[in-house]
Amino acid sequence: MPADPVVPTARRDRRRRIVRLAGRYLLLSVLALIVLFPIYITVVNSLLRPDQIASRPPGLFPTDPQWGAYKEAWEGGHIGRYMLNSAIVTTGIMVGQVLLAILAAYAFAFLEFPGRGFLFVVFLTTMMIPFEVVFFTNYQTIADLGLLNTYGGLILPFLATGFGAFLLRQAFLTVPGELRDAAALDGYGHWRFLWRVAVPLARPTVAALSVFAFLSAWGQYLWPLIVTDDDRARTVQVGLAQLRREALNDINVTFAGVVLASIPLVILLLAFQRQLVRGLTAGAVKG
Amino acid sequence: MSAQRSARRRAKDALLGYALVLPSLVVFGVFVFYPFVKNFSLALHRTPPFPGLPKKYVGLDQVKDVLSSSEFHKSLRITIEFVMLTVPVGIVLGLLLAVLAHKQLRGMGIYRTIFSSTVATSVAAASVIFWTLFNPQIGLVTYWMGRSGDLGVLEDPKTALIAVAVTTVWQNIGLSFILMSAGLQGVPDDLYEAAAVDGADGARRFWHVTLPMLSPTLFFSAVVGSIMAFQAFGQIDILTRGGPDDATNVLVYSIYEDVFRAGNDGVAAVKAIALFVIVLILTIVQLRVAERRVSYAR
Amino acid sequence: MTRTRRSAKRTVVLSAVAAALALGVVPLGAGSAGAQAAKCPVKALASAKGPVEITMWHSMNRANEDALKALTDRYNASQSAVKVNLLNTTSYEDTFTKFRAGLGSGNLPDIVQLEDTSLQGVIDSQSVVPIGACIKADKYPTDAFIPRVLDYYTVQNTLYGMPFNVSNPVFYYNKQAFQKAGLDPEKPPKTLDEVRAAAQKIVTSGAAKTGYSIKLDPWYLEQWLAKAGKPYVNNGNGRAKRATGVEFDTKVGQEIFAWLDSMVDDKLALNTGPPEGNVDNLLAIGADNAAMTIDTSASLGTILGVLGGGQFPNVTIGVAPMPGPVGKGGVLVGGAALFIPKASSPERQAAAWDYIKFLNTAESQAQWSVGTGYSPNREDALDEPVLQAAWAKTPEYRVAYDQLVSGVNNIATAGPVIGPYREVRAEVENALTRMLTQGLDPKTALKDAATKADEEISSYNARVS
Repeated sequence: MPADPVVPTARRDRRRRIVRLAGRYLLLSVLALIVLFPIYITVVNSLLRPDQIASRPPGLFPTDPQWGAYKEAWEGGHIGRYMLNSAIVTTGIMVGQVLLAILAAYAFAFLEFPGRGFLFVVFLTTMMIPFEVVFFTNYQTIADLGLLNTYGGLILPFLATGFGAFLLRQAFLTVPGELRDAAALDGYGHWRFLWRVAVPLARPTVAALSVFAFLSAWGQYLWPLIVTDDDRARTVQVGLAQLRREALNDINVTFAGVVLASIPLVILLLAFQRQLVRGLTAGAVKG
Repeated sequence: MSAQRSARRRAKDALLGYALVLPSLVVFGVFVFYPFVKNFSLALHRTPPFPGLPKKYVGLDQVKDVLSSSEFHKSLRITIEFVMLTVPVGIVLGLLLAVLAHKQLRGMGIYRTIFSSTVATSVAAASVIFWTLFNPQIGLVTYWMGRSGDLGVLEDPKTALIAVAVTTVWQNIGLSFILMSAGLQGVPDDLYEAAAVDGADGARRFWHVTLPMLSPTLFFSAVVGSIMAFQAFGQIDILTRGGPDDATNVLVYSIYEDVFRAGNDGVAAVKAIALFVIVLILTIVQLRVAERRVSYAR
Repeated sequence: MTRTRRSAKRTVVLSAVAAALALGVVPLGAGSAGAQAAKCPVKALASAKGPVEITMWHSMNRANEDALKALTDRYNASQSAVKVNLLNTTSYEDTFTKFRAGLGSGNLPDIVQLEDTSLQGVIDSQSVVPIGACIKADKYPTDAFIPRVLDYYTVQNTLYGMPFNVSNPVFYYNKQAFQKAGLDPEKPPKTLDEVRAAAQKIVTSGAAKTGYSIKLDPWYLEQWLAKAGKPYVNNGNGRAKRATGVEFDTKVGQEIFAWLDSMVDDKLALNTGPPEGNVDNLLAIGADNAAMTIDTSASLGTILGVLGGGQFPNVTIGVAPMPGPVGKGGVLVGGAALFIPKASSPERQAAAWDYIKFLNTAESQAQWSVGTGYSPNREDALDEPVLQAAWAKTPEYRVAYDQLVSGVNNIATAGPVIGPYREVRAEVENALTRMLTQGLDPKTALKDAATKADEEISSYNARVS
């Protein structure tokens, strides 16, 4: 802290600080408006009639909200069905990824077997091969297995994750050796040790990985686009694109679909913010 | 425990180890390594437009043709332009918002939630929203730009990529904000105090304390962001389908069209390998610099 | 590394590579050459035990899908030998992709509705039973069908697909804007020069911002060349022999490109961009940013509903024949046809043929046309009361049909048959974009389009020979 200021300087400083504070709030508000605007206009337009959306100057507030667009999006636009498909597929991927990562990480962290180091490197190299480099051959594989338009076809290629195994191995390695010894003395087999000790201790990482898996699986577009070509297993992301392409004039229905499709993510963001942040920053902190 | 029993125990452990990694390895084998290797085979063959017709082995001719084609060069250039348009802007914006919202002031929670909110939109949702905003007849952005009834922003080759970039940057702001905020939180307060004691004001504190401490996060965001940007697809498919006049025909989109519209797997495989090499270089750069940082930190 | 370890490693790598190559080289799915002497087992249905279930992949949406479902329900209810299941595969493009994938995986329907432009591709895939074989085997009379419609799907004297939904481009215009501009709303323009003159009047009078909204669809170039009586590709428009190059870089082509360019340059027309998922050319009319456009007759019902539905009180939609160059030609057949994959069992092929026959009776075609706006593919459908009543009530629906049966039937109006149709169209679209948005002059743009299109055709031909 600087030395005691002279009184007039104090008042000038305080004024300067208030101006700076006001400036900060102003800047924040402008930026917040810009960031929020597309979301705001989506919600507004979902409640307007098409002619109101097209009118100039544009309607920015629904004085007479039309909720029919939501029903039309849910049923006519099949968004309800698509969201169910997305929920099933995303949950499948999330559970599968976390489970397989836990199992592999346990092996890498607690078990000894020849070639362990090599296999771990194999896991790591999978992180260097982006999905977009291999997707079309995977499409052929899924097609040959007869899994097009099925949940299995949407889930299967994503069951394993090198990143997840890496993170969880990291977490498992922090389990103190004494705990392992104590558990061994208590007659804990590997299975019990894994689920009663290791996983609970690694819970923040498991949660972060789960949220991250959910987020990326829910937002997938390319894979569901090519694997599904009818309504049976189509996910909501592809459904939104389809809704937009088919919407000649009923933009309000399209926007209602967008709102509906975003609800799960909003819930995720609000309920699991901490885990979300952790999951997203997992690599950054390490890096 | 007898030596025999512990040997058996070790064998059982080893088997268990293999069993636990086996499911992942199977998935990797089928869906990562096999297709990766197959790309090299496909790249060497001119593939027919329909299954059942013969492939033709052409050695490196197809590779040469594709890599030297103006179409591939344009696609690569567009992709790099796209990365340049989205990654730096995204980081700077995220940092700006994070710094502004980092103070413990009244109502900051609301701003923080708003700034993170775009995490709740997916690429598809954001693209659908912005497609409407950019629509030449009824779009609000078109209206504000005074272009209503003129050539649409997404139909003009000069502006289409920028429009796609704007959509992407907006959709990524939430993520960028969260990453930068997390990074800022990792800067220890005593560093700031020490700088203040040394007489440093806000701007100097930012450049000389915050930024250096933040550099791992910044670097990570830049590299990971670039890798993600090189793989962009959804927004292109929804906003422009690669047009107009291939102005937004990024690499992944052109691979998709090669396979699913033209049935040309051979050409697609060449481009996929090129994409892999680019991402590999970026990943190696990130690992190397991260390694060096860690050793410096030590 | 020791020598033994190195060679062991090499063996592993080599085996892996060999395995990968082997997997890649062995073609999946059946593939035998020779579409000659194809047989259509029409008698197999009679000897089938119990009802034969077949699946049809189609991409009809909204009202068109409802009409298709109604027809199919009637068919299923009217007999018990065949049960048809419909699968909506969203769009023509997606259907073709799915079909191509199915050729490899074996997941194929018994009937697939494919867009007109897929014809050469379907032939090259060697995977369908030509409809001509079924017609021959069943001695099915075809004289009631509109000749141009059958001509389109006939290559080297073999009819490959059965035309089902037939459309062509028609002229949509805002009668109110015409009145405001001092134009006679019942006398829409017939030639490109007349369109330009009308646009001039519309802009000058302030009736709309521009006169004409351009949907940048290369289909229109094809149509205009056909109207002028000119072929689009060589080798008899790709019908005498496989096409090896385009033929649109001619005087007529240059005139068309120049017309488009000058219309946009003089602000008489608005470029609303590529056609995919795009109805901006129609929305432009609704917003008084244009007063005329060309679009497919397939969307007639929807367009009348949206633009005429009251949301746009400034619009009264008129429908007229497509204006274009004058010549010994006519409009091209558009839409899609039904194909029967070879992979189906004989009973299912016979069942498919039976269903196709049902869809093509005069009665069905009349109902189909009334429910959708597609033109009937046979002339005696006009005798059906339901069609006569519908056309009396909404004469706009007649326009597309009248266009189809007028003009000359020759190699130009039979339509082009191109292998890489999509790629050729993409090059034309790109050239148009460059001309209209980057200031490229029409002659160079057209030449660019032709050069690039030729490249696409030769590389496609190299892959199928």
